[in-house]
Amino acid sequence: MKQTLRPANLAKRILMSEYFVLYLTIVYLIVLTPIIPRLWHPMNIQNVLSNMWPLLVVAIGQTFVLILAGIDLSQTSVMAMSSVVGAVVMTSSADPVLFTKSPLWGTLLTDQGGLMASSPFALPVGIAVMLAVGLAIGFLNGFSVAIFRMPPFIVTLVSMMLFSAMAIFLTKSENIRHLPDSYLQISKTTFSVVSGSLVIAIVLAVIAHMVLTRTLFGKRLYAVGINTTASQISGVPTRKTIIAAYMVSGLCAAIAAILYSSRLEMGRPTLGSTLFIDIVGANIIGGISLAGGKGKVTWTIFGVFFFIILANSLNMLNLSFYIIDMVKGSVILVAALLDVARNRIRKAQM
Amino acid sequence: MKKGIVLFVVLCLLVPTLLFSAGKKESDQITIAFCFQDLETEFWVAGHKAITESLRENGIRVIEKNANEDANRQLEQVKDVITQGVDGIIIIPQDGESAVTIAKTANAAGVPIGIFNRPPSDKSAKNLVVVANNEVIAEAAVEHMAQEAMKLGRKVYPAIMVGDLGDPNAVGRRQGFMNVMAKYPELWAAPPVEIPTKWDANVALANLQSAMQANPKIDFLFTSSDFLFPVIKSVLAPLNKWVKINNPNHVILGGLDGDVTAAQLLEEGYLDATGVQNLFYEADVMLEAMLAAIKAGDKTPDKWMDDPGFALTQANLATRAEEMWGWVLYKEKK
Amino acid sequence: MAEVVFAYKNITKRFFGVHALNNVSFELERGKILGLVGENGAGKSTLMNILGGVLQPDEGEMFLSGEPYVPESPLDATCAGIEFIHQELNLFTNLSVAENISISSFPCIRRTPFIHRRAMQDSSRKLLQSLNLDISPNILVENLSPGERQLVEIAKALSTNADILLFDEPTTSLTANETENLFAIMRRLRDEGKSIIYISHILSDVQELVDDIVVLRDGQVMGGGPIADFPIHRMINLMVGREIDNVFPDRIPSIKDRVILSCEHVSETGMVRDINLSVREGEIVGMFGLMGSGRTEFARMLFGIDPYKEGSIVVDGEPLPKHNPQESIKRGLAFITENRREEGLLMDYPILENIGLVSLPDYSAAVTRLVDSKRLFKRADEVASSLRLKCNDLKNQKVKSLSGGNQQKVVIGKWLLKDPSLLIMDEPTRGIDVGAKYEVYLIMERLASEGTGILFISSEIEELMAMCDRIVVWSQGEVMREFRREDFSQERIMRIAFRQDIDYDMEEKVVVNGNE
Repeated sequence: MKQTLRPANLAKRILMSEYFVLYLTIVYLIVLTPIIPRLWHPMNIQNVLSNMWPLLVVAIGQTFVLILAGIDLSQTSVMAMSSVVGAVVMTSSADPVLFTKSPLWGTLLTDQGGLMASSPFALPVGIAVMLAVGLAIGFLNGFSVAIFRMPPFIVTLVSMMLFSAMAIFLTKSENIRHLPDSYLQISKTTFSVVSGSLVIAIVLAVIAHMVLTRTLFGKRLYAVGINTTASQISGVPTRKTIIAAYMVSGLCAAIAAILYSSRLEMGRPTLGSTLFIDIVGANIIGGISLAGGKGKVTWTIFGVFFFIILANSLNMLNLSFYIIDMVKGSVILVAALLDVARNRIRKAQM
Repeated sequence: MKKGIVLFVVLCLLVPTLLFSAGKKESDQITIAFCFQDLETEFWVAGHKAITESLRENGIRVIEKNANEDANRQLEQVKDVITQGVDGIIIIPQDGESAVTIAKTANAAGVPIGIFNRPPSDKSAKNLVVVANNEVIAEAAVEHMAQEAMKLGRKVYPAIMVGDLGDPNAVGRRQGFMNVMAKYPELWAAPPVEIPTKWDANVALANLQSAMQANPKIDFLFTSSDFLFPVIKSVLAPLNKWVKINNPNHVILGGLDGDVTAAQLLEEGYLDATGVQNLFYEADVMLEAMLAAIKAGDKTPDKWMDDPGFALTQANLATRAEEMWGWVLYKEKK
Repeated sequence: MAEVVFAYKNITKRFFGVHALNNVSFELERGKILGLVGENGAGKSTLMNILGGVLQPDEGEMFLSGEPYVPESPLDATCAGIEFIHQELNLFTNLSVAENISISSFPCIRRTPFIHRRAMQDSSRKLLQSLNLDISPNILVENLSPGERQLVEIAKALSTNADILLFDEPTTSLTANETENLFAIMRRLRDEGKSIIYISHILSDVQELVDDIVVLRDGQVMGGGPIADFPIHRMINLMVGREIDNVFPDRIPSIKDRVILSCEHVSETGMVRDINLSVREGEIVGMFGLMGSGRTEFARMLFGIDPYKEGSIVVDGEPLPKHNPQESIKRGLAFITENRREEGLLMDYPILENIGLVSLPDYSAAVTRLVDSKRLFKRADEVASSLRLKCNDLKNQKVKSLSGGNQQKVVIGKWLLKDPSLLIMDEPTRGIDVGAKYEVYLIMERLASEGTGILFISSEIEELMAMCDRIVVWSQGEVMREFRREDFSQERIMRIAFRQDIDYDMEEKVVVNGNE
């Protein structure tokens, strides 16, 4: 069935294409180029990329949960919690004036730093602890959703409150600095754009893509997302699948915490607290449906890319700060509307 | 089809890069970026106004960025303005730690950076810093409160509303308060009650309410920031403790910042003393140092400037009120 | 000559160049019931959607009482006095009966926005009485039985004074009594001058109820006229386009000695009581009973979806763990549920993903768990062709786009990939057309001859009698009796299912059990 390339048809095909968001980003970039000449300055490209990697990592984690028709509001608190815990392990000194009130003072944290202070193993142990925190919180979320059948929104809302409060409690709202140099090196760029963050994010994206499209777990994740009952009857271990998805989400948030905290050079109890809208917004723009069963890592990448470009360009345009969030919100709204439109067209074609 | 897409994408990325990678500068006008953490209180609004106005009066182009209290976002914004090729950056950081990280980023890019009112937590980065001497100012205000307490001829129950201790200002103010506590040990009926506020009105309200319930005898209250007076009023008024100075129920009250509310309360006789930061002075000093650095081509100026400040009390209200920024705004409003 | 209320004239509708309807014309007369039959995909739904204003025809016209009728939306159809009573009920279960009936036009107190509750209840009560439905208008719909809900749906349609009523498979979830009652009401409505279009797969019902009939095949009218001229075999011939002498294939019993499944004293409060049952290799065991008699509930316990309190289930000589479908699958059980859409299929996903779902672990590598798509596709393709699955593209075509019969084949195929030793089929022929039913029977026959044990749940007694080696009759959570093939009698099975003659048959039951 060959379709003619009449403009209406072409427009429809572009709208229905998987690469729609990418096309949109490209058009947006072309339009902006004469307005913001510095857009293509190597340093801006470097900024865009360094902003993109950590968001991409955490958004990919969210994608797994969204495919399940769930949502993970607690990713921001995972980031706060694991950045704090990791920093407590790795830091080489802590100021008694700030930390004497912390419940960790004297045991896990002293003026000589944390447990692994100045040890050559500080980096691997610190990172392992951070990932473990992410997995543990993810497990708690997944367990509550799968076994107790609690609504994901409530479960993750509660763990968001609980763990961000705990991160603040552990440090009494202080930031923990003096992290090992090797840790800070993760987000430093070499060869203009290549950085540890880039490598980590790309490797993670490739693995996530493989997991979703090629593995048993990925196939089962989609099946559970679209029809839990049918999956259960077909022998899919639905509970394990749900728990695993939330653990992936927690793990990705912990990895993002590594990238963000290494860039900020500190463990921060409020790390990422304002990031949730960006994470879900990027996913929605990418076309991942909140209703579950639909989504690809490539879509998440496009969504994150567009979102970062949008934020960067709004900064470069020097728009008033009152306007920036309004624009961002409108863009998410438009993305959600486009998704509805695409679904309508798809149905009409059936 | 797929090859076509890839080719298209590559072209779109390459062509403009080649066209614009030269990236020339547009004019000789000096551009300074002003990145602040948020405008949540009157003090910061006044600070924001003081800085932007004095910049514009000097014919400087200002780029403003609001980080919405997110240190990570502020870092991204600073990187963005560096890319835009600004000549200098002035920030109000979210806290002392992130100030260091951001200043180092600016150092690496060779853009002079000034840090306004919240000092960095250590001196490892090179930056212009103008900051009020919080400890001295707080101590002066609390000293006046202590003198008033002595006139009562009895012991008093002291309390302090502590700010976010991630902010060096909050730490300094608390220290100033503690210095006075140590100075007159016989004056206090109990050790001071510390009420956390996190610089948040809602947190402050909840914690002050429970503190007043647990310690109903509190009659000596210092708030680390003036913006909390409306909160204090809403807690004390139902307890019949929001009364003027000569009333026996009066809680001896002190604050710090010197904002419009404080000015009004001083005039009406509810407030005993407030520590004053000289905002206009701070803005001028910062700007001067920044412009000097830009003109001299100094990419990493490093200078620490103090705003001595003072305490405005019922005793010196008549003579020194005009020096307080909040008083000036208050009179303008009237 | 009776008055023509509604007429289709040369209606043609294409989807992507394929004819869904081709030059369809027929008429509905006042005070008549018109039956519309045809295999799934013959064009019945498209025809109804055009009548209801959901779709617009590419060519042709419609006439309502002689006037041209061009509906652009479902609202236009309602205004023109046309109402639909759907197979899937469109009631709000969280609202009361009266609220459901008045949902499209609540009576208000004068000009205020407040609902006139008394008026609403009175008018609803009148409607319910006219349908012989003795329920309070204030009861919530969720508390009603499927049959009562169906009648509420009709009351709702009547509340707008509709002239033309359209029934799409209304009896699917009804008991025999409820069906009889429904038919009586439909006849009365007809006698009151309403015109009715009745769509059904159950040809005996059609024959009993309608005055005229239209048979569709592949979007064309194959025949039509007074029902007297269309005995059931003629309807079938027109529908499938070939002579089907036998609706059922020949059964050659192939029961082996090995017992695959044996259940002892399985009980669960309020569900089933003391169930003893066994299935041998190559045996087809039917389970007959009314809705809610415990057949489906028992099948779910057997497969491990729902828990049970007492008793034991033994598969191949070893006890089967409770409440664990994954273990049941490992032990060779397979379960085709009665709800294809909700429990059997991922409707929005391609055929391959559906066929592969159960056996994915068999096709994934040990450590990396990467799925070997090529090997899976090859096997799925083999199974699909052995089932004669009609589709264009296993990898990309969504299950949603298949006909009911082909969807059922996908469900069967999904389990065949596992080579099950015991296949539980719950109403496997419900909602699929005659041709597809025949194919499902053929598959069952083939599997049984290859040694698979089959537990066949159905409400259609004819198919059970044709296909089963044994029939177990259920009532109110208990197994009442077992019949061996040579003892099959439609009348006696029905009587037992309705608990009509238990005492009378008691002695015989003991004897039958003794023979086992």
